[in-house]
Amino acid sequence: MKILSKTRLENVFNKLNETAEVFVPMQRGEQSGFYPWQTFAAGSDKLWLEALNVYLPPKNVVFPQTERMYNIKQEGQDVKIDETYEDSKSRVIFGARACDVKGITCMDDVFLTRGYEDSFYKARRQATTIIANACYAPGIACFCSAMGVKYVDPEGADIIIRDIGDGYVWETITEKGEMLTARIADLLEEREVTLPEPKPFQQDVNYDGVAEKLKGMFEHPLWDKLSQTCQNCGICTYVCPSCYCFDIQVKMYGNEGYRFRCWDSCMYEEYTREAGGGNPRPASKERFRNRFLHKLEFFKERYGHPLCTGCGRCTVVCPAGISIVKIIDAVKEADTDA
Amino acid sequence: MHKCNCEQPLVPIMVEVIDIKEETPDVKSFFVKNIDSNGVPFNIEPGKLAMVSHVPVGEGMFSCTWQEGDEYLQFAIKNVGLLTGELHQIEVGQKLGVRGPYGNGFPVQDCKGKNMLFIGGGIGLAPLRSFIKYCFKNRADYGKIDILYGSRSYADLCFKEELFELWLQEKDTRVHVTIDNPEEGWGGHVGFVPAYLEEINPATENTIAVVCGPPIMIKFVLQALEKMGFSDEQVITTLEMRMKCGIGKCGRCNIGSEYVCLDGPVYYLNQLKQLPPEW
Ligand code: SF4
Ligand code: SF4
Ligand code: FES
Repeated sequence: MKILSKTRLENVFNKLNETAEVFVPMQRGEQSGFYPWQTFAAGSDKLWLEALNVYLPPKNVVFPQTERMYNIKQEGQDVKIDETYEDSKSRVIFGARACDVKGITCMDDVFLTRGYEDSFYKARRQATTIIANACYAPGIACFCSAMGVKYVDPEGADIIIRDIGDGYVWETITEKGEMLTARIADLLEEREVTLPEPKPFQQDVNYDGVAEKLKGMFEHPLWDKLSQTCQNCGICTYVCPSCYCFDIQVKMYGNEGYRFRCWDSCMYEEYTREAGGGNPRPASKERFRNRFLHKLEFFKERYGHPLCTGCGRCTVVCPAGISIVKIIDAVKEADTDA
Repeated sequence: MHKCNCEQPLVPIMVEVIDIKEETPDVKSFFVKNIDSNGVPFNIEPGKLAMVSHVPVGEGMFSCTWQEGDEYLQFAIKNVGLLTGELHQIEVGQKLGVRGPYGNGFPVQDCKGKNMLFIGGGIGLAPLRSFIKYCFKNRADYGKIDILYGSRSYADLCFKEELFELWLQEKDTRVHVTIDNPEEGWGGHVGFVPAYLEEINPATENTIAVVCGPPIMIKFVLQALEKMGFSDEQVITTLEMRMKCGIGKCGRCNIGSEYVCLDGPVYYLNQLKQLPPEW
């Protein structure tokens, strides 16, 4: 087996950093997330590969929070679009958990299938190599396996690493992964190890039949009750590894400017407000219902699997104590005969 | 000459405004063509959408009112907000962006051999007009044509030349126009569209009704049609939702698992009734 010793982690980051931007999980002040290795500040940042889930998922690597699309120049009635910004710089995500890798493959379904390929997403995605960090001890908020995510054998990764205490087993999966492995091959060693036994989940979530049951529950009274405390703050969509809704906006400085897209949230009132003032989802309840139906029912109908990867982040950050796990339970228990 | 933006579906193709026509005090038609005057940026079938971009201001999704071959694309746009307000200020020669075509469009093939009943209110005649004109262009393919259209006042009626002249000259065609309130000089029908529809009481047999207008009108027209015996398979409508991408990615135009920009905006009523009631 190929092994990467933990003492050589930094050598690997430095080596990869020569040809790519390398995103690694770090704790940075009150925040944690995947930040570029070249911004690592030894005194204040902490490398945090053991974390099950850092606060922010690595989705910004392939789908940045704001992304410039093209430049605009205007001169009187003349308007020109003179540069587009498909970004195909090489990037590496190092140590993403299975749920976060799944978040990215959910976005692949959205941006790269069904009629159109999104050229901005495609450029970044093709230039991104994903190194997943297999989980052997799910955390207190985790329920990925209930959502069909293989936490020990993450799907969609180019390389999988497995923590064995003093190092990681290094398993190359795809061609992209082989190219990356070749660059750091001399930093790996060869030895046989036994892998740990995966520990069980700490909470029991059962998603079986939920999507199907939800089909008949659009008008169910449970949405009034569940949504009551939601403040439509949108933080649940912000931290979610698979939430991908975006807005397109323009920024002009005099006669020059650019159009960009940025993350949006279905929890906001403006999200569906029409130019004429109408809004199909005017109140909190409708937006709340749409978010959770999208996660648990609509996406599955369209793409064959749910849009929740069971990372648990939204259940931890919600100021109102709303939890997708409790929603799944409530749906399971709901009386639908009425 | 068609320039395709399928490689970069979110980047508009630049076009030039070659003509602007004031349809009503708050509706203008914009006629656009490729900048080199060589044709239109893309072909767009009746009922399909295009994102029209006043590039430094913003983008908005509009149903194409008509494509005249290689001559122009026409968009009739009502002044309702920031973008449309700015659009109403521009003059001939302005460069705009367009991207598309998006959506499914009207089922023009499906409707062959049918009598057509078009029911529109206000700016809702703009999308219908692409289908109406298509029927006239392929007149032999369709049976009798009834056009029922209403607006607040005479001034607010779009496409007057067609309503009161051109369409009346078409074979087997009746045009019924109504305005909401009596007005000096108006000798035509007064009243709302749904009530007028019941007065006209069109035959249901072998007929397809295509409805487009403000939500409240659509609601009562659908009720009236049902009362007259139209089945859900005989009724078509086209939905309006806020849209940003047009290609089923940005998420906001969903009704259930459908994306109206991609899978719609045109639906038979029986299809709509299977979706969550958010339309
Ligand atoms: S984090 Fe909680 S309160 Fe905020 S929008 Fe999401 S569910 Fe509502
Ligand atoms: S919905 Fe919540 S638990 Fe599911 S993937 Fe998103 S943040 Fe994680
Ligand atoms: S407008 Fe973006 S998904 Fe329909």
